[in-house]
Amino acid sequence: MSRNRRKTTNVIEVNFLARMIVLVFLLGLAGLFFVYLKNQQHAVGNQAREMEAELREAEAKNAALQAKISSWTSRGALQQRLDEGSIRLEAIRDTAIARVTPPVPAEADGVLRTASRDSDVRFGPGVPQRILKR
Amino acid sequence: MKGFSGRIGLVCALLVLIFTGFAWRLIHLQVLEHDQFNAIAAEKHEQRKVLPARRGRILDRNGEELAVNIPVRTVTADCTHIKDPVALAKVTAPFLGMPEQELAEKLSTKRPYVVIRKEVSEDKAQDMIRAMEKARLHGLSTEEDSFRSYPNKEMLCHVLGYVDGSGHGKDGIEKVFEANLAGHDGFRHIEHDRKGQEIVVYRGAEQLPDKGSDIRLTIDMGLQAIAEHEVDEAYKTNHPVSATAILADPNTGEILALASRPNYDPNKFNLAKADDMRNRAISDIYEPGSVFKIVVTSAAYNEGIVDDKTRIFCENGCFSYGGKTIKDHHGSGDLSIPEILMKSSNIGAAKIALRMKDQMFYDYVRNFGFGTRTGIPLPGEVRGEVIPPHRWDMITKTRVAFGQSISVTPIQMVMAMSAIANGGRLLKPKLVLNVGEGSSGLPEAPVTEVVKQESANYIANALEKVVSNQGTAPLARVNGYRVAGKTGTAQKISPHGGYLAGRYIVSFAGFFPVNKPRILGIVIVDDAKLGETANYGGSVAGPVFSKIGEKAARYLDMDPEPGESASRVGSSTAAVSVR
Repeated sequence: MSRNRRKTTNVIEVNFLARMIVLVFLLGLAGLFFVYLKNQQHAVGNQAREMEAELREAEAKNAALQAKISSWTSRGALQQRLDEGSIRLEAIRDTAIARVTPPVPAEADGVLRTASRDSDVRFGPGVPQRILKR
Repeated sequence: MKGFSGRIGLVCALLVLIFTGFAWRLIHLQVLEHDQFNAIAAEKHEQRKVLPARRGRILDRNGEELAVNIPVRTVTADCTHIKDPVALAKVTAPFLGMPEQELAEKLSTKRPYVVIRKEVSEDKAQDMIRAMEKARLHGLSTEEDSFRSYPNKEMLCHVLGYVDGSGHGKDGIEKVFEANLAGHDGFRHIEHDRKGQEIVVYRGAEQLPDKGSDIRLTIDMGLQAIAEHEVDEAYKTNHPVSATAILADPNTGEILALASRPNYDPNKFNLAKADDMRNRAISDIYEPGSVFKIVVTSAAYNEGIVDDKTRIFCENGCFSYGGKTIKDHHGSGDLSIPEILMKSSNIGAAKIALRMKDQMFYDYVRNFGFGTRTGIPLPGEVRGEVIPPHRWDMITKTRVAFGQSISVTPIQMVMAMSAIANGGRLLKPKLVLNVGEGSSGLPEAPVTEVVKQESANYIANALEKVVSNQGTAPLARVNGYRVAGKTGTAQKISPHGGYLAGRYIVSFAGFFPVNKPRILGIVIVDDAKLGETANYGGSVAGPVFSKIGEKAARYLDMDPEPGESASRVGSSTAAVSVR
């Protein structure tokens, strides 16, 4: 009787069970880690996409603003504003000009009468003379 | 018991059948029809996104922007994703500037790609996307795009050209340098989710765009503005058919300014007439008249046929030759070469030509660049017309000597005058300083010596007398500088043969300072409405040259020449202050 009872008893193979549990646990963990990584990848991807969009937007806004600046400061636009009286031309004061090349005097009297440097010619009467003497 | 087993067997058989069916369907989907379904899925979720290349800018020689790109968005719809077109239209229509109903109709189709609106500003496109996200609607997306803008509008339009709706250069520099300016679009293979947003993880192969090169022209916008202003004034005052001015550096062949009227705004090229778009500096031919006398005189001097002691009898203003009469405006007796140029004697020029052999004279004309395209990098340049000697009649040579029976373009005349100014070298006109960071990308043209330096200098000094009080163009003088130049007054050719009475093309081509020329210019006014007695190169084109020259000298801060006094009050340029 006791022999028969012994025969029908199943032995729990603890080692095998433990190995299997550990294996399943590891597999589960690997699966979860895979899912976690995949989610992270998508999250980072979304961040990258948003960042790219922001960069593109900033770049486009910058280009649009530069184009606006070009258009507002173009010669045609400035001339129009000049005609409208929004801006005006003002003579540059003699003291505000630093010349790198020394003035060349005329041969006869040493007085420089030039088209480009004579303030009367340049800006009309009333502006201090810029005739230079040596 | 048997019946029970039979029922179990039946259920099992049914289950086997069902799962066999499923398995077959799986094999059908995944193996047999794999390619087809893969393609359908790819079509729905995968996309080859074009990454547009930025078109290169066009700049003047100082880096001033002449053609730029304004980024905009093209709004497109994937109508297969739109559940409620009316609601979507209600949210987005204000940003697109479209009526709601029209937009709803466009969104109601079932097409996967519909262009809703082009050239939507960046701000409005962003606001629209945010409004859609807030209303939890999707189906509309935006694509990067840009349109070409010319901040200076009409200024330099004939050089710049324009870009058509598809972004391709259609005229001017935009056309000639299309390959350099356009760059190469890139691409990226992407997959998107059901909302149409890219799944970055599945991003496929990509190639970044290769942006277009910036092109830096030889044009100086300061000088261009001066030329434009003066040509505009002449155009408004004299009401000619057209007016053209070109400024160049005679030492390098660089074109510094090129202004022509009528003109157009390249931002609105679709409103321009064909006539306004024609670049008359390179595509119009005209009889140059007396300006052409520089060719015959320099050629004869160069060959030793005439020298500084030569005096030519000018028949007191009326010379019959070959059955035709050549007349001078003022009759003269014996004239030296400088005097022939100064008084612009047709008879003198004709007699000099008669001293030369036909082929020799023809060769000089061709060597000065007439009858050949100059090679300026602009589309539509014509070669002009030079009749070869075997087709000449008795009087052709005498006519060519003073600029009749020959057709030239303004740019050819500029380069010919440059040869006189720079010591006899014929240069190729240069319009592009560099492409991108490199050189112009154009082969350097060989420089041809047309006449010896001595001959060129002799003619240049003779041309200085043209702007003296005894010459034909005292009004072309530039205060502070010694100017050399030549006037031209040519009757317009009738399309029915012969010449049109009382209608003239007048011109002045000159350079300064004579000793060391820095600026060379030509002004051509076609058919000014002034009456026969006032319509001369010296009285119409000369003053325009003078005004341009004075302002250009100030702009370039050129040192005036000793002994040359400033006697005329000109307009001013100075710093700009905002009120």
